[in-house]
Amino acid sequence: MATESLTAVRERLDRRQRIVRILSVLGILGVLVATAAMVTYLGFTLADIVRQLPHWLNFVGAFLKPDFVDLTDFTQNNGVGGLRAIVTTLTNPGTIVASIADAPVGSGSVLIPAAITTLIIGFSGTVIGFPLALLFGILGSERVTPFPFNFIFRGTMSSIRAVPALVWILVFIPLAGISPVSAVLAIATDTIGNLGRLFTDELEEIDEGPIEAIQSTGANRPQTVIYGMLSQVSNSFIAWTLYILEINTRIAISLGVVGAGGIGMYISLRLQRVSADQYARAAAGIIVVIIIVITVEMLSSRLRARLRPGEEQSQGFIDSLMNLADGDKWLGTGVDPDEK
Amino acid sequence: MAHVSVQNVTKVFGEDVVALDDVSFDVEDGEFLVLLGPSGAGKSTLLRLLNGLTTPTEGRIAIGDREVTGSRHDIAMVFQMHYLVEGMSAYRNALTGALGRTDTVQSALNWYHQDDKEVALEALETVGLLDFATQRAGSMSGGQQQRVGIARALTQAPQVLLADEPVASLDPKAAEDVMGYMKQAADDRDLTTLVSLHQVNIAREFGERFIGLRDGEVVFDGDKDDLTMEEVDRIYYGDGGADEAGLGIQQLAES
Repeated sequence: MATESLTAVRERLDRRQRIVRILSVLGILGVLVATAAMVTYLGFTLADIVRQLPHWLNFVGAFLKPDFVDLTDFTQNNGVGGLRAIVTTLTNPGTIVASIADAPVGSGSVLIPAAITTLIIGFSGTVIGFPLALLFGILGSERVTPFPFNFIFRGTMSSIRAVPALVWILVFIPLAGISPVSAVLAIATDTIGNLGRLFTDELEEIDEGPIEAIQSTGANRPQTVIYGMLSQVSNSFIAWTLYILEINTRIAISLGVVGAGGIGMYISLRLQRVSADQYARAAAGIIVVIIIVITVEMLSSRLRARLRPGEEQSQGFIDSLMNLADGDKWLGTGVDPDEK
Repeated sequence: MAHVSVQNVTKVFGEDVVALDDVSFDVEDGEFLVLLGPSGAGKSTLLRLLNGLTTPTEGRIAIGDREVTGSRHDIAMVFQMHYLVEGMSAYRNALTGALGRTDTVQSALNWYHQDDKEVALEALETVGLLDFATQRAGSMSGGQQQRVGIARALTQAPQVLLADEPVASLDPKAAEDVMGYMKQAADDRDLTTLVSLHQVNIAREFGERFIGLRDGEVVFDGDKDDLTMEEVDRIYYGDGGADEAGLGIQQLAES
């Protein structure tokens, strides 16, 4: 009896395994066929890729010899190129200051001023967006604004989040032209949605106890909100703001690519001209981007680690390097509060 | 400092959960009263009503000459889990006790009156934590955090001090210390104090008068001499006592 039962179980398990295998193969085949159909619809053909491959390899090859001739006005005007430009600039730090002072804002023609412009766009956008993010974030919490009125603010933030910064800048171009100003406004708007939502979520998770304790002292409603609620999350709020600053720096680079100035614009301008010389300069721009992003990310994550010991691990160089592949952080889309 | 009057107070949660049923008693100025009773007896509900954190379904509570209708800065509360803002220093936590008499804008900017700052420092000194004034509350031990909770309550310069199982989560030594500081502060300031406690030995050590609550009703009201083990037995196990519940008085005393 027991042997029969064991055999039956074994057969059932084998049958089940066969079905799972067949379904897995069919599933993988289905996905591959669907993908092939979709890329064909998009005009992607292997023949085209093979035909363009030599040209592309030349393009990539040019990146192996980055040319920093545009690092400062001095290196640009005196034709100091290659890696020698870095040494010349480091030994003449005055040329950095002169370059920043002289470069027209948003032109994206000289590397160091362009990098500074990008950092300023990211920082200013974050600071300008912060007050409204704080206001919407607080009012969006059910702890502060009773349901369903809090959804007015939550809904506004969700709507803002649904639109990427790359689209927001198009909204602001009629107001301020294709300029760093539009980029700042786009990032500030994006910050309201993303940072505000993080603030709201943080407030939803606070302990009820300290709120009650502050209330019991005879504090009024605004005092209870400030001392019972906001004081519980102030460090987290600063940590999230630093995180958004980190993301906004990447977005500032992306917005430069569409013409808003800064390092993104520098790279975009170089890549529009088909020559190995220009590609080498673009390569220098990309290296500067990597340096900016990793520096901001490492500083931000170390500060956050100090603010929230135990919650946020300090990020090292390798982690920062791997984060360069995170597309959402470049486009200003999908800041996921669940990342917490 | 103030007379407490609880008159025919009933508190019903929802439709039919009776937490307190027609409770009446008075507490004299400067009296140190301990509330005893099993979990669910209504001790916390009574203290929350006295603090104005909730309102009675029926009856009247008055402290001093005024009826309690909401939280007031002259009624202070110490909570079991201290409920400090862990990211703030002990001093800033103590200072929040002055919020009830500080303007909203001033308090938002952290601009307290000089007098209130002095009161907060004195309160920290009272609970033996002056040297820890700048330490982050979250980094303190449970006993120290509870002492900061007492300092916050004292900074309110209250007429009445309420404490809801203030030592329930502490080890015996820390519990003894915290109760010692609280009793000393109450005696020095002649504060009317109501403390709910589970530990009968600690209650007997510090209490002057005892009220036993069971199923939302007052089943005992007396002083230390009246609080025999049989009475404790009756408060916690009902008229049948611990024997009926399968426990001997000796076991109860040990527990």
